[in-house]
Amino acid sequence: MKISYNWLKDFVDLDDLSPKQIEEKLTVSGFEVEEVLHMNEHLHDVYVGKITKIEKHPEADRLFVCQVDVGFKKVQIITSATNVFEGAVVPVSLEGADLCNGVQIKPTKMRGVSSDGMFCSGEEIGIDDNYFDGASINGILILPENFKPGTKIEDALMLNDVVFDVNVTPNRPDCNSIVGIAREICAMYGKTFKEPDLSFKTVAGNVNDYVDITLSTDNCYRYLGAYIKNIKSEKSPLWLRSRLLAVGIKPISNMVDITNYVLIEQGQPMHAFDYKYLDGHKICVRQAKAGEEIAVLNGQTYKLDKDVMVIADGKKPVVNAGVIGGVNSCISADTTESVFECAVFDLKSIRLTAKKFGLRTDSSARYEKGVNINTPTIAMKRALHLVDKLGCGQIVSGIIDKVTGNRKLGVSEKLTLSFSKVIKILGVDIPKDRVLQILNGLGIESKLVGDTLTCVPPFIRDDIKNENDIAEEVIRIYGYDVYNNVEGKMFENSSITIGQYEPRLVLENGLKNILVDNGFYETLNYSLYTASACDKLLIPEGDSRRNVIKIANPLSEDLSTVRTVMAHAILLDISYNLSVGNKDLRLFEAGRVYLPKSLPLKELPVENNRLSIAVCENGYDFFELKNLIENLLVSTSLEYKIERSKEPFLHSGVSADIIAKDGKVIGCFGKVHKSVLKNYDISQDVYYAELDTDYLASIPEKKYETKEVSKFQAVERDIAVVVDEKISNAELISAIKSACGKIFYDVELFDVYRSETLGKDKKSMAYKIVFMSNEKTLTGDEINAAVNKVLKSLEFRYGAKLRQM
Amino acid sequence: MKQKLQQILKSGLEDISAAADLKALDDVRVKYLGKSGLLTEILRGMKDVAPEDRKEVGSLANEVRSKIESGISEKLCKLENEKLLADMAKETIDITEPSKGVKKGALHPLTRFNNKFMEICVEMGFTVIQGPEVETDYYNFEALNVPKNHPARDMQDTFFISDNILMRSQTSNMQVRAMEKMKPPFKIVCPGRVYRNDSDSSHSPIFNQFEALVIDENIGLKDLMLMIKEILRRLFGENVKMRVRPSYFPFTEPSIEIDATCQLCQGKGCSLCKGTGFSEVFGAGVVNPKVLEMSGIDSKKYSGFAFGPGIDRSVMITNKIPNIKYLFRNDMRFLKQMR
Repeated sequence: MKISYNWLKDFVDLDDLSPKQIEEKLTVSGFEVEEVLHMNEHLHDVYVGKITKIEKHPEADRLFVCQVDVGFKKVQIITSATNVFEGAVVPVSLEGADLCNGVQIKPTKMRGVSSDGMFCSGEEIGIDDNYFDGASINGILILPENFKPGTKIEDALMLNDVVFDVNVTPNRPDCNSIVGIAREICAMYGKTFKEPDLSFKTVAGNVNDYVDITLSTDNCYRYLGAYIKNIKSEKSPLWLRSRLLAVGIKPISNMVDITNYVLIEQGQPMHAFDYKYLDGHKICVRQAKAGEEIAVLNGQTYKLDKDVMVIADGKKPVVNAGVIGGVNSCISADTTESVFECAVFDLKSIRLTAKKFGLRTDSSARYEKGVNINTPTIAMKRALHLVDKLGCGQIVSGIIDKVTGNRKLGVSEKLTLSFSKVIKILGVDIPKDRVLQILNGLGIESKLVGDTLTCVPPFIRDDIKNENDIAEEVIRIYGYDVYNNVEGKMFENSSITIGQYEPRLVLENGLKNILVDNGFYETLNYSLYTASACDKLLIPEGDSRRNVIKIANPLSEDLSTVRTVMAHAILLDISYNLSVGNKDLRLFEAGRVYLPKSLPLKELPVENNRLSIAVCENGYDFFELKNLIENLLVSTSLEYKIERSKEPFLHSGVSADIIAKDGKVIGCFGKVHKSVLKNYDISQDVYYAELDTDYLASIPEKKYETKEVSKFQAVERDIAVVVDEKISNAELISAIKSACGKIFYDVELFDVYRSETLGKDKKSMAYKIVFMSNEKTLTGDEINAAVNKVLKSLEFRYGAKLRQM
Repeated sequence: MKQKLQQILKSGLEDISAAADLKALDDVRVKYLGKSGLLTEILRGMKDVAPEDRKEVGSLANEVRSKIESGISEKLCKLENEKLLADMAKETIDITEPSKGVKKGALHPLTRFNNKFMEICVEMGFTVIQGPEVETDYYNFEALNVPKNHPARDMQDTFFISDNILMRSQTSNMQVRAMEKMKPPFKIVCPGRVYRNDSDSSHSPIFNQFEALVIDENIGLKDLMLMIKEILRRLFGENVKMRVRPSYFPFTEPSIEIDATCQLCQGKGCSLCKGTGFSEVFGAGVVNPKVLEMSGIDSKKYSGFAFGPGIDRSVMITNKIPNIKYLFRNDMRFLKQMR
């Protein structure tokens, strides 16, 4: 909301307050000033001057030497302009001026004759004909003869305003107006609000004889109409144009300017109809009928339906209610009679219409925020006052005022509140008198008897309902800086609570720290991604991860779906890092996937927290990754086994799934599929792993139970057997364990060897077997017997032959 | 004879001290104490000593022997020690060569900040909770006093999935979920991701908030201010100053914005804080009684406060991260600086 400093002065005495002070005070009182605009930013050192003499330049045909009176001194200006004349009053820029077109003024010499400055055109001052007659001509701006030489140009042309761009919060629609902010300033400084002049003269007749208004929709709460005749359509006076320009509204003609003026000043959108185009001289506020159309002022034509509220005449829609006027009935230069509209509409209805047509006008913006049912009472009178003051036309007596529902005007609810509760909310002692003074200053009529605080808010404020609202009003005027140095204990009068982490976060942080110790870097990725992620990862049709939630209003295709797979993002990270020349990448991400139970989404999806890990490093292999995964999992309570992975994006021969005791696949690890790497433009091997951290956090905590350490020494024996490639280490180890029986203590594969002499598809597996007994020292015979049993078992079950070394 | 012994002692000690290495020292031992060493020879000649002198000469001979022996063993110790030192000196390495083994990685700056923030809050009695990011309109808006078509919805550009399901635009959804699930008194914090349909040089469509909610009897603005003061002190140091401005959130009343000393310029004024020396860190307020009632909490008995800072900006400022895009780009050249 743009608020003009000069305009505020109509309602509050600002003689002792500079724009800077107002800016700071508004911000600390809840009306953040986002920007301050000085209209005269470029207009310093420009004055009104009168040309007293013009002579030809002795050395240049096209230049003239002018003697100019700028009030406080006489100057000499050289110009090439041909529209100046002796006696002309013109803007004169002197040393230091910095004009709108970037020209900076310095005294100079032109062909030997000195010039103290420059005459200005309208463009150089930043105005055109719309604002000031003659300002658009290609030449020097000729000012009226009654402008006094020496006057600053910004004062002469009323371009001296300061405008605050105020962020008005949604709870204060009443402050989307000059008067609203002026009332606040009064409360902040204890000043008296100067009521607007609402007086106007009327001529004989009755408005009801000229126009008939009916409301046939509940979306219209209130509608006021007034009738003006003998209109003289012309330019508004300079002071009015200046104010509109200051707040960014283009002046058009007196009647239209008045409606805009009231909009800004009172926060009440208005409309002016050309009476002769109102069919049947009727105004009917209703929902549109299917098939109706309206051509509006922005040049568009909209098809309407029953969800759109319109103002119609006897036959057709003439205004898209609360949003934009139609071309068929708007004010123009030949308008002689007009009806003024001042209405209150349902904010949701206006919001939906504005959204539907993608239109946001000054009017709809205010209606969407809520216009108070009482605002039109003053606004209509203010508009008519201006009609009278400007002499634009004659006002026929009477204002039609229709209200729907049982809405009451000019009343507000009396609140009975607890004073001590207000103080409790604030937690600081503010004297009773000061509280009452602040509230009454804000127009909230307040009385205190005992602890009972009765408050009657002004009827334009719908936002004050309870102690919290009153507490806010008090403290924002009293000043929040009371808390800057507040002392004491927090939660002094409240309970002790015991803090606690979320178990999954604890687990996740533990895993993260292990990864960091192993040289990994944590990444963060967007949880929205492209719909093509599943394709890139070779996830087949029918896989549930293909069921992705789509964003209805995405920013871009890249962020159009909610992710169901972790791998996509981290592979992009690898690809990006390689592309910028980074090497030896060890990355991880703790994030979520969002798995819908059905599509389209009817209930919330399962949000599954997962840990993804990726390595792209020379010499890294499956077993290094396996070791990492084992170390991560041993820090959890998971009991698991591994099987060949079914993940489509992993290399089927070099990957494993992690399977919990209940059969659930809770993760995977292995080499990434070569086609997938291609899809991500990665030309080196990548190892990837993923764990379901929600599952890991759900397992009951591991109990550590220990056994006695044997008093007797362990004995080690090494064996090497030759087996077929297809026999796995796991199979051999399991056979060794069972063959050893009670004296088995440990077994470890320490070498795998392949050679031509061993034969095709054969390998030698060398194991260190450790034997131990808790009861005695094992004899050589016992050990030998066990080893023989192992060898026989391996031969019998897997065709393993003892390797001769 | 005595003279001879004295002579042997003198030359023996001289030889010991002259021995430059273990070999030379061993030669000395053989020369004096060996089978045909000088001292051994003398002792063998004891039989020729007059019986009355034997005792005296004998004890002198033993004394000389023990002095030479201990001289040799002292010298041996010294020489061995010198040799060790010399051997060690040969092992000297260039200690500035690089270390071996895996180099530690690093957590993301956001995680670090969150961890620190959580730690502070848990110590103050808060429980950390987590909740859905795909959320219903009810928890994200309606139950927070933002009905459909309320103008406050314009304050946030929301990603919608359907009419009633959306990507949460604030972690405040967790206020409602906590109030429904937990019985007062309670204190919760919820770090989490939020989503807004907005992206430019200073906004990311996905960013992080840190919601906190306290519901108890007698909770007011003063508790909120004291807590925030303590948090700012722990996060940004002893010298941090705070500034409070009124604001508006539908779910708190009164609502405030809290600014803290700009961490980039330490309050001197810079482009980030537009010369004010302060930057915005928290939106906060006293829980609106309407919100309490909607979630089934008796607003006559209980009150509360809530705050929800955006984390990303604070992380950027404390780590002097030049561009918000760095947070999600995962460039190793950036991440390595967090070691």
